[in-house]
Amino acid sequence: MGRAEYKVEGGKLIKVQLSRKGNLIEAIKITGDFFLHPEELIEDLELKLAGHPLDEKALIRLMKTLVEKKKATLLGASPEDFAKCIMMAGGDGG
Amino acid sequence: MAEEWRLVDTGLCDAFHNMALDEAIVVARSKNLVPNTLRFFRWQPSAVSIGYFQSMEEEVDTLACDRRGIGYVRRRTGGGAVYHDTDGELTYSLIIDENHALISEDFQKTYETLCSGLVLGLSRLGVPAEFKPINDITVQGRKISGNAQTRGMNVVHQHGTILRKVDPALMFTLLKVPNEKIRDKLIRSVQERVTSIEMLLKKEVSFDDLKGALSSGFEEAFKVKLVEGETLEFEEQLAAKLKAEKYGTRQWNFKR
Repeated sequence: MGRAEYKVEGGKLIKVQLSRKGNLIEAIKITGDFFLHPEELIEDLELKLAGHPLDEKALIRLMKTLVEKKKATLLGASPEDFAKCIMMAGGDGG
Repeated sequence: MAEEWRLVDTGLCDAFHNMALDEAIVVARSKNLVPNTLRFFRWQPSAVSIGYFQSMEEEVDTLACDRRGIGYVRRRTGGGAVYHDTDGELTYSLIIDENHALISEDFQKTYETLCSGLVLGLSRLGVPAEFKPINDITVQGRKISGNAQTRGMNVVHQHGTILRKVDPALMFTLLKVPNEKIRDKLIRSVQERVTSIEMLLKKEVSFDDLKGALSSGFEEAFKVKLVEGETLEFEEQLAAKLKAEKYGTRQWNFKR
């Protein structure tokens, strides 16, 4: 189980807990004190991330697409920040 | 004539009811049963609320809370963990139609607009407060108020806390710390980063005076007239249902 915390400068804290299978995310939980509207999107996102490769650029794309498609708003953390924290949690040291 | 908003003071309630009633008012507003509303409330027993995205197990020492009879609840809004002391803080909620002129599509702008009422209200008490993005109000760089906003059902819901008195040591017996070694450091850092009305004015300000000042601040900032009212039977019944089926359940409070 990999864990990481990432404090966005001038923003909020993201915490990621994940299990991996090879280079794929098996299951993931994202918590923290950021804002995402609508809130329930976090559960969608976690499901979408299961089975997704640990590839920072692809993770950013997936999040950006989801935010756009659902007309969602992120405050205090960006798709880039989430991707970074996920990569940290998925790292071999994690 | 100024637009009239409802002012409700729901006094002292437990954490589950407090969060359930907020949502019930949002639903009532979305059905146009009530006007835009400012609500004041307090927490009895004292309680910790966590943001929608936080993990209860990771943020809150629920055993320590249980031992002291302190409540804990997940909010419908994002943001961080807050300790709501019965006598140490006042909580407010604003429930406003999303199409109102005060509301911008931009969340950050809307935080600033809605917080401007608190800033004015605090300044009336002699507290030189200012809005600090993303969602805080500070005095001389120290936080005195945290706020959280969400939208849904065409209604904007912002709630937040104003610190009358603060006890960082108690806060950190209720919130989990990464390890015991840094507990004292965290307490000191909160002492440096947080302030309260009592610390600033070197005297106690009553809840009535605080609510009065904040109400005038909101009236002036929003150019509205607050009319004292009651919650509807509809709101109370829905709140009881939401408490039983959502905010009072382990499923909701420990879902993340």
